[in-house]
Amino acid sequence: MDINGKTYKDFKERANRFKHQNGPDKIKKQHDKGKLHARERLALLFDKDTFEELDAFVTSATPDTGFGKIDEAFGDGVVIGYGRIDGRLVYVFSQDFTTMGGSLGAVHAKKIIKVQDLALRVGAPIIGINDSGGARIQEGVASLAGYTSIFHRNVQSSGIIPQISMILGPAAGGAVYSPALTDFVFMAKRTSFMFLTGPNVVKEVLNEDVSFDELGGAEVHAKKSGVANFMYEDEENAILGVKKLLSFFPSNNLENPPYIDTKDKKDKNVDKLRDIVPDDPNKPYDVKKVIELIIDKDTFFEVSEHYAANIVVGFARLEGKSIGIVANQPKVLAGVLDINSSIKGARFVRFCDAFNIPILTLEDVPGFLPGLDQEHNGIIKHGAKLLFAFSEASVPKITVILRKAYGGAFCVMNSKNIGGDYNFAWPTAEIAVMGPEGAVSILYRKELQNADDPKVLRKEFAAKYRNEVANPYIADEKGYIDEVIDPADTRKKLITAFDSLENKHVEPPSRKHGNIPL
Amino acid sequence: MTKIKSILISNRGEIAIRISKTAKGMGIKTFGIKTSKEPSAYYLQFMDEIIDFTELNNDIPEFLDIEHIIYSMKENNIDAVHPGYGYLAENPYFAQKCIDEGIIFIGPSPDSIYKLGNKTIAKQLASSHNIPLLEGSNGNIRNPYHAKQIAKKIGYPVILKAASGGGGRGMRIVEKEEEIEKMFRMAQNEAEKAFSDPSVFMEKYVRNPRHIEFQILSDHHENIIHLGERECSIQRKHQKLIEESPSVALNKDLRKIMGDSAIKIAKVSKYKNAGTVEFLLDESGNFYFMEMNTRIQVEHPVTEMVTGYDLIEWQIRIAQNEKLTIKQEDVKQNGWAIECRINAEDVQASFAPYLGTIEKIQFSNGKNSRFDTGVTEGSNITASFDSMLAKLISYGETREKAIANSLAALNKLYIKGIKTTIPFCKEVLNHPKFQSGDISTSFILNDMKQLYYQEKDEELIAAFWASLNHNIELDDNDKTFIDYEKGKNINPWLMNKRLKSL
Repeated sequence: MDINGKTYKDFKERANRFKHQNGPDKIKKQHDKGKLHARERLALLFDKDTFEELDAFVTSATPDTGFGKIDEAFGDGVVIGYGRIDGRLVYVFSQDFTTMGGSLGAVHAKKIIKVQDLALRVGAPIIGINDSGGARIQEGVASLAGYTSIFHRNVQSSGIIPQISMILGPAAGGAVYSPALTDFVFMAKRTSFMFLTGPNVVKEVLNEDVSFDELGGAEVHAKKSGVANFMYEDEENAILGVKKLLSFFPSNNLENPPYIDTKDKKDKNVDKLRDIVPDDPNKPYDVKKVIELIIDKDTFFEVSEHYAANIVVGFARLEGKSIGIVANQPKVLAGVLDINSSIKGARFVRFCDAFNIPILTLEDVPGFLPGLDQEHNGIIKHGAKLLFAFSEASVPKITVILRKAYGGAFCVMNSKNIGGDYNFAWPTAEIAVMGPEGAVSILYRKELQNADDPKVLRKEFAAKYRNEVANPYIADEKGYIDEVIDPADTRKKLITAFDSLENKHVEPPSRKHGNIPL
Repeated sequence: MTKIKSILISNRGEIAIRISKTAKGMGIKTFGIKTSKEPSAYYLQFMDEIIDFTELNNDIPEFLDIEHIIYSMKENNIDAVHPGYGYLAENPYFAQKCIDEGIIFIGPSPDSIYKLGNKTIAKQLASSHNIPLLEGSNGNIRNPYHAKQIAKKIGYPVILKAASGGGGRGMRIVEKEEEIEKMFRMAQNEAEKAFSDPSVFMEKYVRNPRHIEFQILSDHHENIIHLGERECSIQRKHQKLIEESPSVALNKDLRKIMGDSAIKIAKVSKYKNAGTVEFLLDESGNFYFMEMNTRIQVEHPVTEMVTGYDLIEWQIRIAQNEKLTIKQEDVKQNGWAIECRINAEDVQASFAPYLGTIEKIQFSNGKNSRFDTGVTEGSNITASFDSMLAKLISYGETREKAIANSLAALNKLYIKGIKTTIPFCKEVLNHPKFQSGDISTSFILNDMKQLYYQEKDEELIAAFWASLNHNIELDDNDKTFIDYEKGKNINPWLMNKRLKSL
């Protein structure tokens, strides 16, 4: 073929038009808003020169409605394709706000569906970068139909390939369902927004003045609603976060997670673990300090850090192998389980289970949060979610009871009889139906009533109860705990235990799916 | 004299701490309010007793909950309440309720608050006592023709303002007669859309005015004095950012005339306690009454530093029915004071509120600087409250020295964990026009090319750290090789089982 001939000329002209359409002025438009352009995000996300774009030249569909003119732009407002992230194949769609406001029309939706199908067929993770004004009104129901096809594929792929959503612009109305269905949601401060009904409609219907940020900004979703698992200062850091997160899980549900040689020795000295739990059982401490000592250095990647801080969940590595951690946080609300923390823990456990990631549970829970608010809002069914998740999970599950493990919460936090493979306890563990204060009020009601100084007597009884009833050795001797261990041995024991469970498999009951309380 | 033995401070942040310090110094017991939004706030550490409002389960913000505040004061037998600024400070209903319940409200009477809070009444009061006012339509404009008439009488340029508007919204400046009718119609439309009220009034427009305000103290024994002026021209969207006392624009004579006008307003409105009269000063030395603020103001420290009086102390003493022992002749302005408001805002992102936690805060209190802070290490900055964290007030014998001391103090002020307006303050104080005193309320808009200060070689140093960091990261990446093969090599026994159960 002649490079100067007509065939090549057409090819080059078209390429020029395309380049012109994605020129520096488009990039500047995004920058002025404090955002990156759709393609800049992909350049940061993917390894150099590995991104292949698909359907770059498709044109928009003709509107059925006859309403309004649509831009003669290539791509219909979204960039799709695949590439390598840290050497692994990943599919992506990145909405382009500078082209028709990134609005979703029939062709735009078709492109997203294309990569969703490919990712599922090949067994590779898919990342969605949302930055869109929403459904393209001119295209009418075709836009809505596009959305629903996308949602259907989110559901069909759920638990088979990891799906990650980044919200780097507006996501309003129905568009928020896709991220909500995916495994993890990333948002950036100030430029990300998610809400079902925007401030304008809120003002019209309820006459309330709310800003975009107040209604659905990154802070709101990271701290209040829990919809966002990760919140970053800016897009660049959010993209780095996505890459870090990916390193913890496999490409699909048949594989095991990738391994990183962290060069952290199995028997490194972690004597400091003995000093973390205070002698006074009512004094709080930071469970993240326990986590940091047990796992490989600097490998803890926390999920939903700002939501339901009374439970800490996240990924980490033990001798290079990826694990998921669920830990009660005594520093917040004394580490009780409540509605939000139960849901946060349950979803995380189920993700780990779907993708063959072993789970480590660190337990120090005095019980469930009491009160009208919790009871009336259904703590019963939400607490049950966490129990269901732990019980159903067939990945290796190990629990270490650090201190309190009372009542129903003891059962829920991956106890032996709901499938814990190994259950360890520290000497500071207190395992009982009820905490000492509560138990003493019931068991010694008469004695306390008739006492001269009930306060002192109560203290005595509580200490007696703690020593004789709640100590971990009773549970150990009865087999509900496998071993009471020296905190300094925790890391070694866990690595050995997880290693032994490498080929664990549990035959799931043959059913379509269970009925987890929702 | 009814000696006050206890005060409820129904406010938060730096002003709550400020009031508490003075009250305690006077031997008065201080009560503070704990809210659910910041149960471990810094100001609570300065209160003798804390009243817990965290259990309150209604929709009213704690500091606006009149019923519970009054109830708490009665429950605890508290003699007086200091409302600070904002919240209920200018709520006549609250002031009245206090009086009805036998509680001393540290501030003016409900009647003064009401009258001076209503711009129309306040202006009528001023005009009927020959205090210069910006000429205006004195009421809403009926139609474009009416607008033209009034504008002709006032003289261009004029400004059209939405009657129900505020905070700088719904204003249009008209320079010539040809534009007035069109602009009037546009102003009405905008007012209707934004405030659901198309009423628009007109005022003479002063170009590049200076915002000059006078601090008033008035007791219950017919003594009224002013403590000099403050200039608050450095404003952005009508929010003050930097204030100073005195003002370069006033000489002795102008100060006397304006001061006397301020006192007059206080007198005819029977104003008691501390208050501030705001004026606009134009480039020709004409001044116009704008409004009176019936409370203690954020920027009161600059007056305190220059006159030597403790305004909060006088507020309490006046409320106790004491006589003002300061005579007008006694009031001297010594030296110069400048206040920089430190807000949790990202200057480079159009002053967007910045939320987060203060990881570290470091400053040096010296004889020439005062740091009134409402936050400390560990404080959480949330969207629930105003973004002002602290005030940095610096003193100097001259304005130049005050500016130099302010810059030195700002350089020593270190706040880690959140972005603040410190770089903005540095840029203003380094600006040649600010340094020469050539400022007005349009300074930020017109004269500032860049809104934040860049240290010498800042970009170069940033680039250096960025490339160093990048190289470290690249090295790290080489070390962390992700082994996917290990994850794909699954024991055949296990793989078999997995496939069978899917």
